[in-house]
Amino acid sequence: MKFYIKKERLIKSVQDALKAVAVRTTIPILVGIKFDADDRGVTVTGSDSDITIQSFIPKEEDGEELVEIVEPGSIVLQARFFSEVIKKLPELIVEITVEDQFKTIVRSGNAEYIILGLDAEEYPRLPIIEDGDHFSIPNDLLKSIIKQTVFAVSTSETRPILTGVHWMIEDSQLTAVATDSHRLAMKQATLQSEERNGKSHSIVIPGKSLNELLKVLDESNEPIQMTITNNQILFRAKNLLFFSRLLEGKYPDTSKLIPTDSKTIVKLNAKEYLEAVDRASLLAREGKTNVIKFTTMDDDMIEISSYSPEIGKVVENVKSISTEGEEIKISFNAKYMIDALRAIDGTEISIYFTGTMRPFIIRTDYDDSILQLLLPVRTF
Amino acid sequence: MKTKQERKPRIIFHVDMNSFYASVEMAKNPELKGKPLAICGNPEQRKGIIVTCSYEARKYGVKTTMPLWEAKRICPKLIVRRPNFDLYRKTSRQMFDLLREYTPMVEPVSIDEGYMDVTEQSIHPLQLAKIIQSRLLHDLDLPSSIGIAPNKFLAKTASNMKKPMGITLLRKREIPTKLWPLPIEQMHGIGMKTAEKLRTIGVFTIKDLAQANDIQLKSLLGINGIRLKERANGIDPRIVDPDSIYDYKSVGNSTTLREDTTSEEELLSTLRMLADKVSARLKNKSVFASSLSVMIRYHDWKTHTRSKKLENPTQNREEIFQEAKKLFTKHWTKKPVRLLGITGNELVDQGHAYKQLDLFSYEKDAEEEPLLQTLEQLKEKFGENAIQKGITGQKKDNLANTSFSKDFLLDSVKRERD
Repeated sequence: MKFYIKKERLIKSVQDALKAVAVRTTIPILVGIKFDADDRGVTVTGSDSDITIQSFIPKEEDGEELVEIVEPGSIVLQARFFSEVIKKLPELIVEITVEDQFKTIVRSGNAEYIILGLDAEEYPRLPIIEDGDHFSIPNDLLKSIIKQTVFAVSTSETRPILTGVHWMIEDSQLTAVATDSHRLAMKQATLQSEERNGKSHSIVIPGKSLNELLKVLDESNEPIQMTITNNQILFRAKNLLFFSRLLEGKYPDTSKLIPTDSKTIVKLNAKEYLEAVDRASLLAREGKTNVIKFTTMDDDMIEISSYSPEIGKVVENVKSISTEGEEIKISFNAKYMIDALRAIDGTEISIYFTGTMRPFIIRTDYDDSILQLLLPVRTF
Repeated sequence: MKTKQERKPRIIFHVDMNSFYASVEMAKNPELKGKPLAICGNPEQRKGIIVTCSYEARKYGVKTTMPLWEAKRICPKLIVRRPNFDLYRKTSRQMFDLLREYTPMVEPVSIDEGYMDVTEQSIHPLQLAKIIQSRLLHDLDLPSSIGIAPNKFLAKTASNMKKPMGITLLRKREIPTKLWPLPIEQMHGIGMKTAEKLRTIGVFTIKDLAQANDIQLKSLLGINGIRLKERANGIDPRIVDPDSIYDYKSVGNSTTLREDTTSEEELLSTLRMLADKVSARLKNKSVFASSLSVMIRYHDWKTHTRSKKLENPTQNREEIFQEAKKLFTKHWTKKPVRLLGITGNELVDQGHAYKQLDLFSYEKDAEEEPLLQTLEQLKEKFGENAIQKGITGQKKDNLANTSFSKDFLLDSVKRERD
């Protein structure tokens, strides 16, 4: 195998593929990145067997030559080492040659590395995804679906299914739900389906996969193609394939857990409120508990307070836009509130309370596709 | 208060009740007086060891922690009584109440001993000690030893010098003659292990320690080495702190099994019993544990302690049991177990405890909401202490455990504050 390649494109592709490479792995060859050179260009693959990322560098793009293939072939190179090497190479073009026994020579200008490669035949095959259901979604919408839900997945392995985001697709309507059982994030969106066969899907995508996907999706506005099979999902963007294993098991039915009525509705300026919560949380964080108290007062005022026996207390009043219904005094984890407010990203938000020990929801009037739910903290 | 104490030489008493449990039994049943008496945990079980015994029994060689069968062998006339902790608790309370008549600066350290700072008292300390000792004897029928010295360490050392019914004054200038000749293991604060270590660097007497090399001590015992050397020189800056019993860092219970066992059923039921005790004691102290540890001691005395941070601080018996069970099942090697223990750590006060509610289980907590709201309203109307949930008054428990003596102290102070 021998090819010449533009250094910048190689670095970008290797970095994308590297996102799937695990630091520790039970399959030794997966510490490597696979390079396949053929008459179309160079394909760079990284995998940890849960996630596989494949980045493609075509021979030519917009009339610009990116790769010159001298001799097709494949090789696996130690991922982290190789990515450090190419970043430091002096010239704009890199020459990669594989000789006998997978000895690989990486040359750029006067610099020459000889790297011991591994046999590409040993590298696991990609999941075969042919007969799944296909959907299409705009790049930026996919990103916001992920950003508005994935932070709420559980980080604990006690209920493994909760470490993923639940995607329900029915008639091209997507509902994404994530919960760690202390808060819940939900986002709805419309997908474009080629088949319109009305088939519904219920899948759970690992939160880690979605976080990595977010990192490799570029700024372009081209739609992302999705293919769903029973144990894999494939996201296909320009020059990029992203495979993820799906979580096995039944996701709990969360639809019944979201309250539909409320006893108190408080409408707030999102920015003012977020800042007040953030200030109170400063003290709450120090006190390890990160719990703050939300109290409705007279004249539509809201009191945000936090008390820590070791450090002190903070009280701040925020004027609400409107406060309807019963008085309420409720405590919750400030971090969850901040996460939820950042996800909603609206200028005005409304909080719907149903009781001091019951879940409450946060929404914005301007975008009913998103809902955030928090469980309060019980104080003794 | 603190600065005053630092400026002026202090006068500290260490009041030590002589064979307290036995003495209380004798005060209650005068016919036991003058006879060899032992208080024993559980006569029919292995853990039936002597908790304490009268001076008459000690003459035969009966000692604390001796197994009952052995004590019976060397002293066939030994009278054995099961402990009556309620009575000891009550008597101890009376004892500390009596001490507090002379100064509020009383720091209980366990059920039967405490320090007093009498620096501010106008009466001569020796005279005061005599009055206190005779009042303890006449009012409560209990013998005691009192050490008088300029600091806690010397006071404790002094009270130990003459038992029973001693009053010993230990002045700083007497340290070289009275303290230094003693073998190192007799110094308060030095156990067998420390004494052994010290002997390896040629420290055999308290004098050797007082003159030992700082660097050597520090490398051998850490900062504690320096502290012990200071004490050997009669320096002890600790103040008498009447509130120190509030500074508990953990609440734990442990128990030796009837016999070494691999029966999961028996081990789990033991854990459940321990969880109940820990929960009761946490409630008694109005605190929640933020983390939990489980101790497993195997038949060969190898001991493992494993801890876990809890999601929410708890004092609930079922939660404690479930977490302890998880820790135990995860770490138990299936070898025969001799002793089990559960400890709640990182305690937080009731008012600052919290529980993050769970989407899939909040209904259980929400059920209590109407009741709690009513309580809240009552409090607002009638004040913070008007009503509390779930306080059923002092439980009459006969928890025969080592930490008993300290918990009990809280009761007495609580009662006082109410």
